[in-house]
Amino acid sequence: MSTWIAEAAAIFAKDWRSELRTRFALNTLGLFALTTLVVVSFALGPIGASPLAPAVLPAVLWIILLFAATAGLPRLFVAEEETHTATALRLTATPSALFCGKLAFGLTLIAAIELLTTPLFLILVQLRVDSPGLLVATLAIGGYGLATASTLVATMVAQARGKATLFAVLLFPVLVPLLIMAVALTRQAVAGEAAGVALTELLLYDASVTVASLMLFPAMWNP
Amino acid sequence: MNPPPTRLRFAGLHRRFGKLAVLAGVSGEAVSGQVLLVTGANGSGKSTLLRCLAGLLAPDAGEIELAEEGRPVAAGERRFRVGYLAPDLAFYEALTTLENLRFFARLRRVDPARAAALLDRVGLPHDRAAGALSSGMLQRLRWCWAVLHRPAVLLADEPFQNLDDPGCRVARELLDEQLERGLAVVANPAHLQLPRVASHVDLDR
Amino acid sequence: MKTLAAWILYLWIALVIVGGLAWAPPLKGFVAGGESSRIVFFHVPMAWTAFVAFITAGVASAVYLRTRRPRHDRTAEAAVQLGLLFGALATLTGSIWARLEWGTYWNWDPRQGSIVLALLFYAAYLALRSAVEDHETRRRLAAGYAVLGLVVAPFLFFIAPRLASFSLHPEPVINQRGEVDMDPAILVVLLAGSLGFTALFYWLLDLQRRIAARLGREALGGAGSEA
Repeated sequence: MSTWIAEAAAIFAKDWRSELRTRFALNTLGLFALTTLVVVSFALGPIGASPLAPAVLPAVLWIILLFAATAGLPRLFVAEEETHTATALRLTATPSALFCGKLAFGLTLIAAIELLTTPLFLILVQLRVDSPGLLVATLAIGGYGLATASTLVATMVAQARGKATLFAVLLFPVLVPLLIMAVALTRQAVAGEAAGVALTELLLYDASVTVASLMLFPAMWNP
Repeated sequence: MNPPPTRLRFAGLHRRFGKLAVLAGVSGEAVSGQVLLVTGANGSGKSTLLRCLAGLLAPDAGEIELAEEGRPVAAGERRFRVGYLAPDLAFYEALTTLENLRFFARLRRVDPARAAALLDRVGLPHDRAAGALSSGMLQRLRWCWAVLHRPAVLLADEPFQNLDDPGCRVARELLDEQLERGLAVVANPAHLQLPRVASHVDLDR
Repeated sequence: MKTLAAWILYLWIALVIVGGLAWAPPLKGFVAGGESSRIVFFHVPMAWTAFVAFITAGVASAVYLRTRRPRHDRTAEAAVQLGLLFGALATLTGSIWARLEWGTYWNWDPRQGSIVLALLFYAAYLALRSAVEDHETRRRLAAGYAVLGLVVAPFLFFIAPRLASFSLHPEPVINQRGEVDMDPAILVVLLAGSLGFTALFYWLLDLQRRIAARLGREALGGAGSEA
């Protein structure tokens, strides 16, 4: 068991070591998130106080996060396939350890995007938040689901053609339930409007996708 | 009489890509101490065969059996047990040779110190980024990677390509060591002079 | 035997059509002249069948991943293709009815959202299949996606209605008191229609699967076993 964690940790460490030397994902994601933020806040203006804000802004925030994920997360596996290092990984890495290592890397990317994007977003549109605790929890739990689903879909897309667009096409239907719940909960955190779902349902989604991914990954990764 | 410690057997392997039947019923066998030589023109299916044996590709039909020390190895396990060497085997370009091998040593649960030892053996610097290696040096790195975990079975696709004379010498030494340990399947477009070739599969039917 | 079953199916559907268009009374309490509500006798069964298709694709895909027999992958692919057809028709009929009844083609009613999600999944599945060249990889990845869809979809079907503030969809058949709340004739035609359309779906599925198998064999010139 401890060696399995060591494997996952080694994969995580390898990805970060590569990343810190090339800065590819961080640059791309960071720029993408910032650009999107600028465009959005320029288009909307500081509408945080208007009565429309609770209806619109939570959805906008999650759209930005979703698009950033689409821009940055496929790399997790697409880079391995394109540089042909996937062959070496297939012959050495235990599939579940590989998935967890990659998921951990994806989670750090999502966390980085959320930490960068959310405060700036709130400031730029001047949105005040009723329950910051609920917002943080929603971002954390929703972000986890986003990362997990993206990791599994990235595995599939890395072995297909048309990777970038195909990733979005495959990911969006899978994420729709998560996004609906996350947006409703964000709305509740921001303006106090009852969401109709609780964080537990979001957690249930996360748990389901995690279990499904762990069970499906070996068959998606290896012939 | 003791049974051979390691035995690889494959029978009736079929694999198509689209409509093209690349493997159409290939069979072969090797035991410890033997080399199975696979020859054939470009596109005849040598790489496909080795990839099937390594577990990187699922054949459409046929069987592959591996037994190490008399004990059968499950199909899903085979890919972790074999050593594999092929022209398209690539490493992480941003990491050094040593970092690459140590990473894979960790995944293979092998003492990371062996990584440095192998690099010294083949004469590769420890601190050169894998992306900055010449094709010959890359091939030496591939040899290190293939035997890192002292596999009982080595699947080597064009193992001497790009190697200069010293490189070839080291590679042959490693191959000899491999045959002390187990068996090797070597694929090459042209016929190779190798020791202990017990059987020959020619894919140019 | 198959011919007999086909004839029974033909008669069944014919009776459903006649029953829906002529025998059952129009739904009460609907604005647009009542007669237009008869579209529900096609809309509901087709929506139900699209749902059945989704489940079939997911289950067949799971079986494929376990057994790796191409037959199950062909079933899943055919189910998705038919699901797309029935789902599109359900969406179309529902949209027409909504326009006649409530003046709007679309309002993101949770059930409209569910069928759109199903259609997105179907389209994504087919896009994935066409993006993978190798036949073994294609089957594997598509099967994984279908299973993932099956895991995720219930969240939308069960949770979304709780999130919507209101729904234009008529009450479900069984209301809170546990009683059936509509004219028995209507209920009969709806249930018979659902059953008939489901049977039609499986009949078409079988046909589609056999065609795919035959085409596959012919493309290979008879070489290699696909069983």
